[in-house]
Amino acid sequence: MKLNVNGKNHEVDVEDDMPLLWVLRDELGITGPKYGCGIGQCGACTVHIDGIAVRSCQLAAADVDGDVTTIEGLGTPQSMHAVQAAWVDHQVAQCGYCQSGQIMQAASFLDLNPDPSDDQIDAAMSGNLCRCGTYPRIRAAVKTAASKLQGA
Amino acid sequence: MERVRTIARRSFLVGSAAVLGGVAFGTYLYKREVENPLLDQLAPGEVAFNPYVMIDADGITLITPRADVGQGAYSVQAHLIAEELDVDVSQVRLDPGPPAAAYYNHVVAAEGMPIAAVSDSFFAQAGRGAADVAGKLLGLQLTGGSSTVPDMYDRLREAGAMARETLVAAAMAQTGMARDQLETGDGAVNLPDGSRLSYVGLAAAAAALEPVQDTPLRRPSEWRQLGQAHQRSDIVPKSTGTQDYGIDMQMDGLVHATTRTNPARGGGMRGYDAAEAEKMRGVQAILPIREGIAVVADNTWRAFQAADAVNCDWGDSPYIGETEGQIAALNASFAKDQQDSQFRDDGDVEAALGDGEVVEAAYQIPYLAHAPLEPMSVVVKLGAGRLDIWTGTQIPRFMQVNAAKLAGLEAEQVYVHVLMSGGSFGRRLEDDYVLQAVEIAQQMPDVPIKMTWSREEDFTHDFPRPMQLARARGKVAQGEVTAFDLGIAATSVTESSLGRLGQPAMGPDVAIVAGAWDQPFAIPDYRVTGYRAPAMVPVSSWRSVGASGNGFLHESFMDELCHAAGADPLQERLRLCSHDVSRKVLETVGEMSGWGGDLGPRRGRGVAFVLAFGVPVAQVVEVTDTDDGIRIDRVFVAADVGRILDPVNFEAQVTGGVIWGLGHAMNCGLTYEAGVPQQDNYHAFEGMRLYQTPEITVRGLENGEKIRGIGEPGVPPAAPALANAIFDATGQRIREMPFDKHVRFV
Amino acid sequence: MRYAIALMVLASPLAAQDTATRAEGLQAWDQIFAVTSHPRCTNCHVAEDRPMWEGLGYGAGAVHGMYVRADESRIGAETMPCRTCHVTSDAANIVSHAPPHIDDAWRLPPAELAWLGKSSAEVCVQLRDPETNDGSDIPDLIDHVQTSAFVSWGFTPGAGRSAPDGTVADLARELAIWGAADTPCR
Repeated sequence: MKLNVNGKNHEVDVEDDMPLLWVLRDELGITGPKYGCGIGQCGACTVHIDGIAVRSCQLAAADVDGDVTTIEGLGTPQSMHAVQAAWVDHQVAQCGYCQSGQIMQAASFLDLNPDPSDDQIDAAMSGNLCRCGTYPRIRAAVKTAASKLQGA
Repeated sequence: MERVRTIARRSFLVGSAAVLGGVAFGTYLYKREVENPLLDQLAPGEVAFNPYVMIDADGITLITPRADVGQGAYSVQAHLIAEELDVDVSQVRLDPGPPAAAYYNHVVAAEGMPIAAVSDSFFAQAGRGAADVAGKLLGLQLTGGSSTVPDMYDRLREAGAMARETLVAAAMAQTGMARDQLETGDGAVNLPDGSRLSYVGLAAAAAALEPVQDTPLRRPSEWRQLGQAHQRSDIVPKSTGTQDYGIDMQMDGLVHATTRTNPARGGGMRGYDAAEAEKMRGVQAILPIREGIAVVADNTWRAFQAADAVNCDWGDSPYIGETEGQIAALNASFAKDQQDSQFRDDGDVEAALGDGEVVEAAYQIPYLAHAPLEPMSVVVKLGAGRLDIWTGTQIPRFMQVNAAKLAGLEAEQVYVHVLMSGGSFGRRLEDDYVLQAVEIAQQMPDVPIKMTWSREEDFTHDFPRPMQLARARGKVAQGEVTAFDLGIAATSVTESSLGRLGQPAMGPDVAIVAGAWDQPFAIPDYRVTGYRAPAMVPVSSWRSVGASGNGFLHESFMDELCHAAGADPLQERLRLCSHDVSRKVLETVGEMSGWGGDLGPRRGRGVAFVLAFGVPVAQVVEVTDTDDGIRIDRVFVAADVGRILDPVNFEAQVTGGVIWGLGHAMNCGLTYEAGVPQQDNYHAFEGMRLYQTPEITVRGLENGEKIRGIGEPGVPPAAPALANAIFDATGQRIREMPFDKHVRFV
Repeated sequence: MRYAIALMVLASPLAAQDTATRAEGLQAWDQIFAVTSHPRCTNCHVAEDRPMWEGLGYGAGAVHGMYVRADESRIGAETMPCRTCHVTSDAANIVSHAPPHIDDAWRLPPAELAWLGKSSAEVCVQLRDPETNDGSDIPDLIDHVQTSAFVSWGFTPGAGRSAPDGTVADLARELAIWGAADTPCR
């Protein structure tokens, strides 16, 4: 089947029900999306499908109905997305394993809702687990990214 | 003084026991200079000044041997070296280095000794020295016990200073200039005319010189890098998906594996049927390993699917398999013949509690999984006479030795490549998952094998922190707490985890009572007794180890006694506090939180104080009893680590510790049926989510005499401060974790 | 008589509208209400913007975890869209505690169609009035029940989730009887 990931077309030969996460990681070698729970409880595998945040462990390869963007496609160390830059400014990451998913969640959220309330930030970001407890800085970084994106 | 002597005598027994184990190797082993592991691996043209700095034609590499499991250890170690070496950390390479005896951890072994962190008596010093000897002999290259900073503080700065001065000596020889004409900065020796001699260019010449020893270290007032906020060295990779963890390792010819072993650990496997699984797409092999099977496939998901399709006939749990039976075994352990320690026995508790009204309470804390978000994973490749291991680990040296033993190799033939860990919280103090992968490699040599556990395998094969029961009795008089008697029953973590590493654990287990027996309170009749329960579920260290539970036990009961006395819980702790640095921490948290002020209806606050790993930490938690349940509004934290090396990372570690402590207290616990943990994914072991996160205000103090680590001490006071706040708001006293068995949370 | 109506419903729902007594209609309504008041339905038929999580061991009155909001959009567009976790797929739901999926975009029904905490009489009045039932007449409701991926999933949610008794066909038949009896309420 065909997949477009980060602007590049790929032809993959996988079962219909292989989760997108494992197509990305083990077939295409795109490892930014992380495996954390496999049941949509942690959000570490979050990618965008046509800009909307989706848990790639829940989406079967055959059900992918749009272009896939992973953290690698959002921005790069040389050219970071505003959300990534805010994550650096606030020194959010500790172990960092959940942060690809957190950032993808936040980027999609701010795209849909550029001027969120604090309560909306809490609602948008509470599907992503962080075992290290970086939540206060995630809150702050989302706000910084929102104002930066609005100014842009 | 009598108490100090009592403690010291017992310490000496423990210390000497560990030393006795070492004496068998001879003191010569200890006195000998520890080998420099980097010298073995130097190519011609490279020069190593010491085990922490390496300079070659490609540049400068700083060796940061303590694992980074998210706590920022690589950055802090690098800045300790760079402070003296005068390099910009962003301009050099960081490398965790190979496993080696030279990287032994002085400090963590001492934490196993029953010496209160506030005691500076001669005996306490002697005890720490004994642990240091043992640490070296065991090759204890270990990250844990909040030891990285205290252990590395001097060593790394001295290494940096030695490297710098030897490079300067090379520059002096080259230019004929005097020392006071030369300055250093940004990886170069700077000459008076503004020209620069780079360290890289000086390296070969410096290699021919005797290293310059005994350079005085810069005083904190002279620091150029330490004490300031720095951008973490890993922050950009971790914000762009470009940080590779063990689970992300890729190489040519890599196959993907997973394992399924008996979730009642130690129960073994009677047999298995893999007929269906073998036919599944991408499956290359289904192999027997100890206690279960491994599936090797061409994709991790296919390996997971096939492993699920294998019918395994597990043996019975070798330990008491039901939570109720485990509780009964702990209850039966409160017996004289199972007494493990009584490091604290002030006054005459029996007499004090002999008559009059006694306050009594019983507490219970469940098994808790570490469940770092990156499940256990490793890449191994076994060739002829060489085994390579790529993984995140806190114990590279133990891993090297144990993997060598399993593979029939010499330790030197095992190459442990330490990668970044996606969390650990103590889980990567174990090497069980690595040894499983080695078993696969033995049946599939010359092939790089990435083994990944499913989340379910990870939860059911954690080595959790142990369940604990406590029985407390106390007395109050004239508005004061006068007697405090706490008995704690638990399985020994030290015995369980050291046993798996092939090391003996002698003497009492301090972890059973750590964070309870060693608190700086002068209660007239004050006793803390540890009872050793029989080994049950195999257990291990969990962020803040013994104090993680004992803080809850001690500080919950302290709160109960304060209320029974009609005393203010903060003022009474201050009155009882016998340690100036700790008192200051309590006063500070009181001031920060506006203690005593009115919070309004349906609100409450609670305080807790725990001294653990030498760090006094006080926390005030504020809650509201809303219609939707308890909401945690704000947390105030004061902590004293002696000296703060990076205020931003300090705040992150304290905040993370608070969230860790609160989240698990709210809703986590492992329960067992037939030896199998019933919580196998995050839906049943959730911890805190972002919307539940309170506003957390942290203040770091620097009154303590010694520098301390902060990865763990933020954890222990969080749970009791929350329970005490809930009591204040609702009148409901919670004596069992997780708290959501008794109250609902927002 | 009742059997005959059922057969007619299956053959052609629209033809079944003129024969049923009030007692038969009320009896049918009770069956309908047994379905609409089941947590599998009330979890999403909520007036507020927080869906519920009953019926998989999360306990009575458990709201959807993760602070999930349906928002005014009823698809969480202002915070976290339902589809972030509830993907669109016709595959079977086989994993407990994973977000269920159906072959349609996951969303909440309009707030006017809230059933959670409502009495039989309240839901009955709501469902028979096009003003409060999304503009549906009885044939529309029957058609919805027979074609909606949500309703179909509701009876076979999979992976250990509880479900109301009966089947889609049973519910369609009861609706037809209730309609034929002129939608009586208790």
